[in-house]
Amino acid sequence: MATTPEELASHKKAYTAIGIALLVLTCVTVAFGFWHPFGPVMTWRDITLGLLIAIVKSSMVALIFMHLNHERGLIYKILLFTFCFFLGLMLLIFFAHADPIREAFDAIRNSLG
Amino acid sequence: MEIPYEVTARRDTGLYNAKIGVWLFLASEVMLFGGLFSAYVFLRVGTQPGIDNPWPMGLNVQILMAGFVNTLVLILSSVFVVFAWVALKERKWNVFRNWMIGVLACSALFMVIKAYEYNSKLTQHHDIKLLDNSILGGKILEGTDKIRFDADSVVVDFSGSAPGFMNQVESDENIEFKIETGENAGKTVKLSELRSWYHKEHVRMMREVADMRMKQRKGEWVDGTDKNPETKATLSAKPFRINANPRKIAGRDEETLNFRDRTVIKGKLVDDTIKMEVHSLNLQMVPLQDQENVMAWKLIHAATGGDEIKENVLAVRDEKVTYVRSHFPDGVIPVSVLQGPFINFRKIHDVPGGEAHGGDHHGEEPKAAHPGDHGSEESAEHGHGSHGDIVIEVPREQTSFVTNHGPRAGTYYAIYFTMTGLHGLHVVGGALVLAYFLLFGKRIFLKNPEHLANRVEVGGLFWHFVDLVWIFLFPIMYLM
Amino acid sequence: MSAASSTHQGADASGHAHDEHDHHDPPFWKKYIFSTDHKVIGLQYGFTALVFMAFGFFLMMVMRWSIAYPDRAVPFLADLPWFQSWLDADGKVTGELYNMFGAMHGTIMIFLGIVPLAFGAFGNYVTPLQIGAPDMAFPRLNMASFWSYFIGGVLMFTSFFLPSGSAKVGWTNYSPLATTTDLQFSDIFWTGQTQWLLAMVFLISSSLLGAVNFITTIINLRAKGMTWMRMPFFVWAMLVTGFLLLLAFPPLEVAAIMQLMDRMAGTSFFVPTGLHVGGMPFDAAGGGSPLLYQHLFWFLGHPEVYVLILPAFAIVAEILPCNTRRPLWGYKTMVYAAMVLGFLSFIVWAHHMYLTGMGTSVSTFFQTTTVLISVPSVILITSLLISLWGGSIRFNSAMLFATAFIPMFGIGGLTGLPLAFNNIVLHLHDTYYVIGHFHYVVAPGTIFALFAGIYHWFPKQTGRMMSERLGQLHFWPSLIFMNGIFMPMFFQGMAGFHRRAFDGGTAYEKVANQLFVSGDSFFGQMFNFVFHRAGGQDVNMIDLNLIMSSSAWLLALAQIPFVINLFISVTRGKKVTSDNPWNATTLEWATPTPPPHGNFLTEPVAYRGPYEYSVPGAEEDFTPQFVPGEGDTVPVPGEDAPAKTETHA
Ligand code: HEM
Ligand SMILES: [Cu+2]
Repeated sequence: MATTPEELASHKKAYTAIGIALLVLTCVTVAFGFWHPFGPVMTWRDITLGLLIAIVKSSMVALIFMHLNHERGLIYKILLFTFCFFLGLMLLIFFAHADPIREAFDAIRNSLG
Repeated sequence: MEIPYEVTARRDTGLYNAKIGVWLFLASEVMLFGGLFSAYVFLRVGTQPGIDNPWPMGLNVQILMAGFVNTLVLILSSVFVVFAWVALKERKWNVFRNWMIGVLACSALFMVIKAYEYNSKLTQHHDIKLLDNSILGGKILEGTDKIRFDADSVVVDFSGSAPGFMNQVESDENIEFKIETGENAGKTVKLSELRSWYHKEHVRMMREVADMRMKQRKGEWVDGTDKNPETKATLSAKPFRINANPRKIAGRDEETLNFRDRTVIKGKLVDDTIKMEVHSLNLQMVPLQDQENVMAWKLIHAATGGDEIKENVLAVRDEKVTYVRSHFPDGVIPVSVLQGPFINFRKIHDVPGGEAHGGDHHGEEPKAAHPGDHGSEESAEHGHGSHGDIVIEVPREQTSFVTNHGPRAGTYYAIYFTMTGLHGLHVVGGALVLAYFLLFGKRIFLKNPEHLANRVEVGGLFWHFVDLVWIFLFPIMYLM
Repeated sequence: MSAASSTHQGADASGHAHDEHDHHDPPFWKKYIFSTDHKVIGLQYGFTALVFMAFGFFLMMVMRWSIAYPDRAVPFLADLPWFQSWLDADGKVTGELYNMFGAMHGTIMIFLGIVPLAFGAFGNYVTPLQIGAPDMAFPRLNMASFWSYFIGGVLMFTSFFLPSGSAKVGWTNYSPLATTTDLQFSDIFWTGQTQWLLAMVFLISSSLLGAVNFITTIINLRAKGMTWMRMPFFVWAMLVTGFLLLLAFPPLEVAAIMQLMDRMAGTSFFVPTGLHVGGMPFDAAGGGSPLLYQHLFWFLGHPEVYVLILPAFAIVAEILPCNTRRPLWGYKTMVYAAMVLGFLSFIVWAHHMYLTGMGTSVSTFFQTTTVLISVPSVILITSLLISLWGGSIRFNSAMLFATAFIPMFGIGGLTGLPLAFNNIVLHLHDTYYVIGHFHYVVAPGTIFALFAGIYHWFPKQTGRMMSERLGQLHFWPSLIFMNGIFMPMFFQGMAGFHRRAFDGGTAYEKVANQLFVSGDSFFGQMFNFVFHRAGGQDVNMIDLNLIMSSSAWLLALAQIPFVINLFISVTRGKKVTSDNPWNATTLEWATPTPPPHGNFLTEPVAYRGPYEYSVPGAEEDFTPQFVPGEGDTVPVPGEDAPAKTETHA
């Protein structure tokens, strides 16, 4: 980890830059949320965009502020491992609702009116 | 005994203990908030249009400015934390102290804004869902959502749970209850003593029942001769007013009030209509063809004496439906769209002719009305009780669900309060840890500055994580 | 080189610690109550967990009475004050009491008994010793996790005495039943159901803190020379268990918090639209999903069962090589199997939910992963089995329990396999078959391993041996009665007995009267003789309840020798003659007896792998890790882990 004065100075610059970028991106998010650019109605595109900006912002926090950009391999491994299960969690909705059978039944029911 | 690698890194792993520890902890935090985010998606996607309460759009119901400012505040605090850490690395205590004070100020500001938001939701905004699923939004006039009842006698049940009506009695005076039945008949208990009296009687009853069972088992019990234990007591008092929380009531009529804890109160029902300033009407759960006949119109008619509002609202709706029909070619109109509009009532009321579908940023084009529509930003959490609000009276029989915009208002509010609440707890926790470094860190600093730098780094990691969670919370709760 | 002669501790080992310790002793409460010493905390965990397990066992005995004799008053208890308010007028168990006991039995056994005993007690006591660390990485955190656990336990226990009684909707606590139960109380906070959730939040926090501590300790505090592949399997298992706890528990914490919100704040996370309770519309917004609860619960639930079983494997893997005097067979394979097991255990959870109406493709996925996960399980158990091969086995009490673990876990695991298929679960779900399956895994499985661990490490802590004779007296009846309880469950389950029926299934007439064996058969005659029934009477499915319940009570009696043994041996047991009474190889036997605060007198070094028994050419049949030999590499401090093996974090 950085200890020399030069390194610390360059750190400070990076932190300032990232801080400003985060503030700007927050404004961008709000602007996009307000005037959704993909048409009059908020759609999945706007949601994706908003989440993308959030992902960019959070990676900046994680990489620079949390020093993940030069962290030891062990930490990456732990986080990678965690991320796998995090994905599993996010798929809960899929496991509960993605159901071809139910979709088929729904289709039949709808066609019957 | 010294634990190795508390300050210096171990050579093969390259890490000191606390660093590994905090990352592991953050891993579990990822799973914690992951579970909550997953629940958010689950509940939102799982909301069935027309059946479940509509999932409101964040922009419509949140104070955007508060969320926005809070985001900036948290980001700033994150920046401050890294600068504080750098200051320690440079061995400058005073600089560290200043940055740290900045962090704590930010966290305090964050919590204050949060409290303001919560308060506005809990006390300024209400929904009344009528039996036909139309939902009126607005502000319930103080106290009118309570069941007001003049009581003169109370029957408590010792096999139930301690009576809870006591804190719903209106007057401050210490009402005196006269015991009407049982061994203690004629004695009196004060309202303030009622709870301890209940517990004593409860214990007595349990003992008597136990005795009875024992005797019954041994065959010594003689019906008629042996006295059954008293499981209830009737108390009477001078008439007093109860403002009962409807959630505690299992049933009621003109003369009785049945509490869920099995206390029965006798007397006279005074008033049970809810008075509300209406701001908006949500017809998403009402089929299109029924929207002209919802109960809400009658209530509004009774309050205003005219049908002007109804006509305006329906005109706006028709406009939207036409728009949707023309933009979604044959038949693929989302059900949610057809279910009906979420209409900002005040706008319609203010501007006759239904011209203004509030907050339309796209010129003349009316926006499709579906749960994601936000044709009413301004309505949201602003302008309490401004001019021109109509106050309607809703008899409780006509409602199916009355709520403030607190956690119970629907799954959106539930997850909003749970997630931001947990996040707030994390902010407080993190701030406490950082405050500890600020207040008591000097000693560690003098002894081994690197140790303090490490600890601040670890505390900072947690702080950044909390910031990171908010970066996701903000758009999904306030914007989408 | 001879191990016994080279260890610096002499025969006077038991007196050792006191000599080392005379520098101002901390006061009693600091030393034994709010201690930060991992060994004391381990013992605290152990005792608390044993008490809770005994209590959970007691609950089960009452339940078994109600099942065996639904029409008779419970003996002994009917006159106790607390019971009088929950038993019915005739002193019989009511459905409510049964539900309370059932829910709390499961909760207590799993969350307050086995996990704390296996992970908290054994893990805490043994792990730092085995890796040569002076203590856990965060001693104060360690204390915090014990006290968090303790508070959780106290909350669970006291909830029995609330007016509402304790939680009563099963250890899985499914919503919406769990949400709507006991809402009639004016103070919902003080109902058993709410207290359960609160207690769970404490227990989960405790486990999370513990997991952080364990993993950090194992990663960073290994002694010189203790490379990854020189760690005993025990430590590996603890590492994997730590990760399971760390990553699987938070979703349950989320579920508990959401259910708490549902109860206390009136939210409807798990309350669907249109829910009616007792014929009345439930006063909530609706729109929630009970399925969400099940997903979050079982996301924890399945990894949790591996939290229950991995420490058992760990203990057995230490005891087998020591008593067969042979190396552990397939050490590396076992390590990898444990890791794969840990990974897979996260993606099988929905096999508990086949009957919630999930789609075929999703259930096919979970069916596949569930079958896959039995592969590493079988690898583990097979390795243990092969480890017995060709050994001259020393059958002491620890070894008896450890050996019995193998077939018992085998039965439990194999009966799980059919359950992996959703068409079979259609018939077996929520029957006694499932109960039999998982009890075989945890009761004669894990609990036997825990007993084995107690017998094995007792001399290290106390400097005295436990009585072998009492140990045998403990083991054999336990083995018999364990099987007496759980084996019939498979038959009943396959016949269709539903679980959680408080009258033991008298309500299920059709199943009850199915023939088990004819009265003329040998078994039938025996049965009628033992239970005083007229000869020639056929034995029906429901009659098996008598066997199971009697076995349960006899099993309780069989624990008496153990309790006596445990307490008597502390003061009366045979003194050990060395610090390494079993002639074992791992690092914990290099410490004085009992190990002082800080554990090792000189800095320990691991010179070789953990299971070097009967090394050809060696003077003795064991070559401990801590004894330097010729040609041993003495690794450089901190650089002990070669890059290749470092990849298993
Ligand atoms: C060897 C591989 C295993 C397989 C294939 C397996 C499979 C299953 C399946 C499919 C069920 C659900 C049955 C149903 O509810 O219909 C189940 C239930 C259960 N299993 Fe296993 N299992 C295995 C190992 C284990 C182990 C090692 C443990 C514990 C240490 C365990 C503990 C449980 C418990 C506690 C339940 C019941 C949960 C409840 O509904 O209350 N299983 N098992
Ligand atoms: Cu499972």
